[in-house]
Amino acid sequence: MASLRREFVKGFTSEIPIFGLFLGLCPTLAVTTNLSNGVGMGAATLFVLVASNVIISAMRRWIPPKIRIPCFIVVIATFVTIVKLTLAAFLPDLDESLGIFVALIVVNCIVLGRAEAFASRTGVLPSLVDGLGMGIGFILALLLVSGVREVLGAWSVWGLPISQLKAARGTPGVDPIEILVQAPGAFLVLGFLLAAFALVRSRRVAVSRTADARAAIALEPEVGPAVAKRRKAEAAAKKKAAAEKQAQKKGPGLPTPGGEAPE
Amino acid sequence: MDTFIEYFRLFFSVALVSNLVLAKFLGLCPFIGVTKKTSSAVGMGFAVIFVMALASVATFAIYKLVLMPLGLEKALNIVVFILVIASLVQFVEMVVQKVSPPLYRALGIYLPLITTNCAVLGVTQLNLAFRDGSFGAGLLKSAIQGVGGGLGFLLAMILMSGMRERLDTLPLPKAMKGVPIAFVTTACLALAFLGFTGMA
Amino acid sequence: MISLAPPLMPVLAAADAAPSPVGTVALSILVVGLLGAVFGIILFVASKKFAVKTDPRVEEVLGALPGANCGACGLAGCPAYAEGVVLKGLAVNLCAPGGAKAAKMIAAVMGVEPGESERRVSVLRCRGSRARAKERMEYRGVADCRAAALVLGGPKACTYGCLGLGTCVEACPFGAIVMGADGLPHVLEARCTACGRCVDACPRHLYVLAPEKRTVHVLCSSRDPGRATRAACEVGCIACKACERACKFDAIHVVDNLAVIDEEKCKNCGACVRACPQAIIGDFRKMRKALAASARSATNAGGEAAAS
Repeated sequence: MASLRREFVKGFTSEIPIFGLFLGLCPTLAVTTNLSNGVGMGAATLFVLVASNVIISAMRRWIPPKIRIPCFIVVIATFVTIVKLTLAAFLPDLDESLGIFVALIVVNCIVLGRAEAFASRTGVLPSLVDGLGMGIGFILALLLVSGVREVLGAWSVWGLPISQLKAARGTPGVDPIEILVQAPGAFLVLGFLLAAFALVRSRRVAVSRTADARAAIALEPEVGPAVAKRRKAEAAAKKKAAAEKQAQKKGPGLPTPGGEAPE
Repeated sequence: MDTFIEYFRLFFSVALVSNLVLAKFLGLCPFIGVTKKTSSAVGMGFAVIFVMALASVATFAIYKLVLMPLGLEKALNIVVFILVIASLVQFVEMVVQKVSPPLYRALGIYLPLITTNCAVLGVTQLNLAFRDGSFGAGLLKSAIQGVGGGLGFLLAMILMSGMRERLDTLPLPKAMKGVPIAFVTTACLALAFLGFTGMA
Repeated sequence: MISLAPPLMPVLAAADAAPSPVGTVALSILVVGLLGAVFGIILFVASKKFAVKTDPRVEEVLGALPGANCGACGLAGCPAYAEGVVLKGLAVNLCAPGGAKAAKMIAAVMGVEPGESERRVSVLRCRGSRARAKERMEYRGVADCRAAALVLGGPKACTYGCLGLGTCVEACPFGAIVMGADGLPHVLEARCTACGRCVDACPRHLYVLAPEKRTVHVLCSSRDPGRATRAACEVGCIACKACERACKFDAIHVVDNLAVIDEEKCKNCGACVRACPQAIIGDFRKMRKALAASARSATNAGGEAAAS
């Protein structure tokens, strides 16, 4: 049970798509112009991920290894088609905003990657949990990117304008950063978010690496230990001699102003 | 019958104005992964042009000739297209390996990656805009969109790899090194390509 | 307009007549199945016609390799080495990261003896950290040792020594080199696979790949005469020949103002280590023993944790 929980949690912590695993970048930039699109895409991918993971895991013993990739792709494509037809029927607006990217879920590296790396080697329940975790992680990542883009770029949240900022619009010099909802803005936002995640990750790695390194550096090759000892002894002797000399110099010295004779 | 100017406009638009990578966000994984060196970027770019052109023609033909008459185009669109692309890539790999071993050694590792390249499947989906028209005209437009898209992809890759090779030598904050600065640079490149809007 | 409709008329008629879900599903399965079969046949024919004779052993050898494509074997990546072994008869133990394990597996595939392959590690032959080696100018430029070395012979007073800008740290694909706090890189021997990237990366050629059982190394590369070296660095070789006099096996000589160990004759006894007044000859024995001991205890602890 603990391992199941681990599989589930890693999907949105250490191995979160986009920021942890560098997968699933294409849809991220294209559909995150606003929050509803981002969440919609995430939900669609979640469905495909879970469904394909389960089916592929259930069929894993019957798929010949040489043609496994085409087999996975056909399974995934089937579920993507289901999603596309469902969206076209029940959420046509979302279908239109997402455009070709619903179809492109089939070549989303996350889906194929998890199928190849996990579902084809593991049982049904762990695969389902893994798919669920990754899907939730993907939704969270998309929420982050589309949140930044929509709030800063269009001053709205889920299509509803932010009222305070709405009043500011029109004031000279105060405008939403519209480039963020266009192509260059997408790259910019993702670049800086990736840098932020890299910073957090490197702090953690640096701590462990430093401990590693410190432990190793502490073990230096020996260099002339007798020499070092000898030098230390010489230095100590020198210091002693100098102190004695100083004492001698001062010894039978001038009488102190108080008139007291030194011992 | 469309005039030559129409076809040129289509070519220009898919190559520059709606550049597959910089405007339509297709093919990002290889774009970030393969542009660390210009030599691998060029190799990947040419492989993509080749596969994209062939895939555009083959998928459009099957869509018009088999799927539409049978009314299955909505249901089997994705499955059939991806099967065509995967088989095509496999076929091209075999042919290249036999016909030109040096070329295979140069491009070989990139060819299987093109199967999951969203740019190829993306272009085949974009070609569906031509389905309501004559077969011949649609096929030609698909071919143009395939070749043009591939060339635009190649251009973006060459530009990017040139910049990334320079970026490697710059003193950057550690967190920005590698992929993050590549994305910020892509943003600048995309901004430049925005200048083409209004030309098509 | 070309269309495949005519031959498929009966199928179309059936589809129109029964627009039920079952009909559509059956039709879909038929179409995909047919297309799949057609593609399969084309690919099968092509695979026969365009068959390139590849020895199946290449795949097996490739499976035995770590797949890092580091180039340590001297070839451009693991597939190239696998091909070389099977088709050109290259030695089976050229893969450094794969080590003895890979060599054994490859030897098994090829049906030959594994040959010797002892573990090698990278050793930095310089101790000139910021505290010990003087700088003669402030360098502001590309933070790369190769670039800094080009500028008037480098910012350090010793023109043979380590520049501390970390080119080797970046070059190591296994993260086995870390930069110490004092500007001197440190090799984490546990992670080193002797791939040789650091050797190529260092513009001063300070790294050398040496077998693990060689535990005594001269940790300086300066060929400046004694006075110049002493002025430039606290731990530089001043060619005093104390090591030469101390060695009972005639294994260390001062050549060109630098002590050089003859690997054939050296018995790793450590006499020169104790004799050197500048403390630049290092004995790695204790350090390696301690590393091995801690690695063993770590695996034991890990094993216990896995078993529980």
